[in-house]
Amino acid sequence: MNMHTQPQRTPAETALIDAFGERLSLLPGDGAVMLKRDDAIETIKHGLPTRRIESWHYTDLRRLLNVVPDFDPAAAAKAIAPIVEGSAVLPVLNGVSSAKVPAIEGVTVQRLSEKLTDGSVAPGLDSYGADDAIGALNTAFVADGYFVDIADGTELQKPVELQNLQAGGQTHVRLLTRVGAGAKAVVVERQAGEGAALVSSVSQLVLGEGAEVTWLIVQEQPDTATHLAQFKAHLGKNTKLTLFVMNAGGKLVRQEIVVRTTGEGADFTLRGINLLAGDTHTDVTMVLDHAVPHTTSTEVIRNVVTGKARGVFQGRINVHQYAQKTNAKMACNTLLLSDDGEFSTKPELEIFADDVVCGHGATVTEIDHNHLFYLMARGIDEKTARGLLVKAFVAEVIEELDDEAIVEALETRLDDWFATHG
Amino acid sequence: MPAVQDTIDRVRKIDVDQYKYGFQTEIAMDKAPKGLSEDIIRFISAKKDEPSWMLEWRLEAYRRWLTLDEPTWARVHHPKIDFQDIYYYAAPKSTPGPTSLSDVDPELLKVYEKLGIPLREQEILAGVQKTDVSEFEEASDNVYKSGRVAVDAVFDSVSVVTTFKKELAQAGVIFCSISEAIREHPELVKKYLGSVVPTTDNYYATLNSAVFTDGSFVFVPKGVRCPMELSTYFRMNEKNTGQFERTLIIAEEGAYVSYLEGCTAPQRDENQLHAAVVELVALDDAEIKYSTVQNWYPGDAEGKGGIYNFVTKRGDCRGDRSKISWTQVETGSAITWKYPSCILRGDDSSGEFYSIAVSNGYQQVDSGTKMIHLGKNTSSRIISKGIAAGYSQNTYRGQVSAHRKATNARNFTNCDSLLIGDQCGAHTVPYMEAKNSTAQFEHEATTSKISEDQKFYVMQRGIPEEEAIALIVNGFVKDVIQQLPMEFAVEAQKLIGISLEGSVG
Repeated sequence: MNMHTQPQRTPAETALIDAFGERLSLLPGDGAVMLKRDDAIETIKHGLPTRRIESWHYTDLRRLLNVVPDFDPAAAAKAIAPIVEGSAVLPVLNGVSSAKVPAIEGVTVQRLSEKLTDGSVAPGLDSYGADDAIGALNTAFVADGYFVDIADGTELQKPVELQNLQAGGQTHVRLLTRVGAGAKAVVVERQAGEGAALVSSVSQLVLGEGAEVTWLIVQEQPDTATHLAQFKAHLGKNTKLTLFVMNAGGKLVRQEIVVRTTGEGADFTLRGINLLAGDTHTDVTMVLDHAVPHTTSTEVIRNVVTGKARGVFQGRINVHQYAQKTNAKMACNTLLLSDDGEFSTKPELEIFADDVVCGHGATVTEIDHNHLFYLMARGIDEKTARGLLVKAFVAEVIEELDDEAIVEALETRLDDWFATHG
Repeated sequence: MPAVQDTIDRVRKIDVDQYKYGFQTEIAMDKAPKGLSEDIIRFISAKKDEPSWMLEWRLEAYRRWLTLDEPTWARVHHPKIDFQDIYYYAAPKSTPGPTSLSDVDPELLKVYEKLGIPLREQEILAGVQKTDVSEFEEASDNVYKSGRVAVDAVFDSVSVVTTFKKELAQAGVIFCSISEAIREHPELVKKYLGSVVPTTDNYYATLNSAVFTDGSFVFVPKGVRCPMELSTYFRMNEKNTGQFERTLIIAEEGAYVSYLEGCTAPQRDENQLHAAVVELVALDDAEIKYSTVQNWYPGDAEGKGGIYNFVTKRGDCRGDRSKISWTQVETGSAITWKYPSCILRGDDSSGEFYSIAVSNGYQQVDSGTKMIHLGKNTSSRIISKGIAAGYSQNTYRGQVSAHRKATNARNFTNCDSLLIGDQCGAHTVPYMEAKNSTAQFEHEATTSKISEDQKFYVMQRGIPEEEAIALIVNGFVKDVIQQLPMEFAVEAQKLIGISLEGSVG
């Protein structure tokens, strides 16, 4: 039970603290930034979260993070082709942004290392709470990334693809995006690489009045990588954000999604597919705050669990006292395809307003035998039939995105995954 | 959408300032000194004339308890409890273990009369108290009409009387206070006590193991269907006392028992602690139904006073094809912290949890269930309805898990909450853990899930949609509430009509 014990530091905690001491002189930042880094490492010194911390109940980071690779200055990742042809690619290779990025009309791109050095991004480095281990880790070590500013009224014709690619070692990246009033954009966040890396990546998005953004996170880390990521967004008045998350790799993955509606008429859509194979541990945790009246959200998460994979989805919807007329719906459906796989889900609702419509549903099951029978009765062999059903289960979520190029690109990623793991 | 007026009115009727069991009774009490120590535990054990193994068991629990911290994960807030400022033993002076009703202090009987609890079995059977009978008849089909309910009345720390003991004994059923069971049936108590909720289980259960003073013991032997409903009525009366009762129910192979529990307490400005442990054991093919109407004093309209209700209830479906069903109607207590659970150990066993929790004033409710699927082909069903009004916080917290070997585990969970007013909060925290691919778990927290077929059937007969929905929901709730005897159903019936229109997940 709750014994009074001061646990000893794990090798991973020690490695992180030691690495901070070594890296400190190399990290960019003015006084304000460096103070934030000191605060952040203090959080790490108090220990990584365990399952006693409610928001880490199913991902005991202290136990699961047992190897922390050293920083590897020799690691050289290469940029890859964007998922949608013609996208403007902004690569971060092994934690370093590119000095030469394509010019995009209406968009200002700055290297984050410069913004850290001049201290202008210091306020955004605050963590959001005591259990924000990913935020703290990233704040302590972040060295680079991009600051993307999409001007008011800009309508981007092609997606912007932010690539965070690693080739081993440690990388800590932050991607800041501001989308101006009335602007429209599609942003792809690619997380991939090779090697046994520790990656922390924090994306922050601010939407001005009436902005519309589709943000895709495509995570395809190798099965040796630890990927700790965060996506944080503030939705202003009459904004519309569609967030699509696809997890199809990584050894230990935690993707946190922290969204807050700050303006009336804001609409948030989350669609996620988690394709879990091998012995991955993948955790998607969402905290959604409906902080003002008249905002809407829907979340649909589909999970496929094979092998010895462990999956987690935690989704908490907070409806604040004044957020009347909130309409929020969340669903999490899981197909558990192997006896060694497991999936845990915790869809929470915290409601303080009395005139709202909120609901959530969660299911865990195997493939419906009737469906299987239906297909097999038509002469389709069992393996193919199963494949069809599983693919249909996740593809349904992708098809909802109403951008043909994006749907096609994601279906390709899906096919790739099924080709290797199907 | 907001709650409908009818629902608001019904909830208002059971608001905290409408508490009608708040009277207190002056009865000479025999109390242990305030505070908790090994000496107090020895005192309690000696008072109860317990064998030495029981004392050892208590002391072991106490030593364990000293090493624990209070849990903080529940969504409840209260000032730190001073465990040295509580009386752990308080018993009416005139009852050194009464054996028949005539030995009971008439003052005590008056308390139960006032509460409407029938202790005078003969009189009810003979139909002497005509006025009462007519009252009973108001509840059309309730079990009291025939007087077929055996009651164990627990007053502060002791059981004052148990009715119908002889008749039950003829059927082979043992129904007595746990203190008596420890003396008379030590082999059964030794075998089962702590086997479902071990002394190491959690902070309050460990405390209970050390200091429990009374409670009920039920043993239904192989193949016996208990001939009547069994019931325990808990009353806290004395100031500054904690009530720590322990209930143990065992249903052997093929046995059936339905057990009801009710509780009230006087209105006081200070908080009182109630930390109970309930253990149920169902062997092969056995079935236990456990119903609770919890109506402890909830505190006043400003949130002053009230009972802290920190209860550990757990049923163990130990045998194959066994079944345990929990039904609870929660309207009382300043704070409720309670998760009646089922461990589905036997193959083909099943567990059920039906709950209606209404919070008013400054009440805090953190309640739900755990369904732990261990055996093959096990199933569980959870229906929870929470209604928060005033400044209250109402949380559903439930866990459903299927272990590796629990093939074909099935669960259906439905939890709805309704808010009345914008100063209260409703929270849903379900945990679902599947470690088996054949597990099938469904969780839903919406109101739209009333079967379209059912709705169509009713509407097709000319009933408008809203009424049709109410009818279907009420029909369901009634199923649960009809199982309760009338005294308990008084509160419950006020809730039947609440259709939860406008509820959120």
